[in-house]
Amino acid sequence: MEVARAGGKAPLFEGNAYFNGGFTKVKLADYAGKWIMLCFYPGDFTFV
Amino acid sequence: MAAVAAHKAELDELGVEVLAISTNSHFIHKVWQENELSKMVEGGFPWPMVADTTGAIGRLYGVYDEQGGVDIRGRFIIDPDGVIQAMEVLTPTVGRNFRELIRQVQAYQHARATGEVMPAGWVPGKPTLKPGPDLVGKVWTVWKVENAGD
Repeated sequence: MEVARAGGKAPLFEGNAYFNGGFTKVKLADYAGKWIMLCFYPGDFTFV
Repeated sequence: MAAVAAHKAELDELGVEVLAISTNSHFIHKVWQENELSKMVEGGFPWPMVADTTGAIGRLYGVYDEQGGVDIRGRFIIDPDGVIQAMEVLTPTVGRNFRELIRQVQAYQHARATGEVMPAGWVPGKPTLKPGPDLVGKVWTVWKVENAGD
């Protein structure tokens, strides 16, 4: 399994998402050609 | 995540798309958005909130905590070629610095547009370096340690 590293290709993924009031499927590949920021966080309703 | 949402205009200006990812389901994301985020920031979180319920995405990015069953705080800047240019991973007790994130995006975008490199402490307006044979051993003539400060 290729793991993320700076200077390497961002591993592709897809997943269910909540967006703009509805549910959708997000695929990283659909964002090709754009600047992207991925923000992982420990969980909804956490404090920081 | 509210802190990121609050800076949407700035991120839009830089052309940055954001994806928030945690191990909560998309259903829980909806509840959080409606009950808390939308009360912290007008309109709530304005980008997709991805459900990584199995931790599979977090594992790919090295941020999944197997014991806690959560994705710890990881932030990745990916360029238009799909290359990770910057990554920052923090354990749960400390939040992100939004200004530093913006600075890094600006610096990588500048590098991509000009081929220049950004020395320590660079912010827009400060001098950049143009790598090449003439600069070898001569960085001291164009960059001072004081430039590393804010």
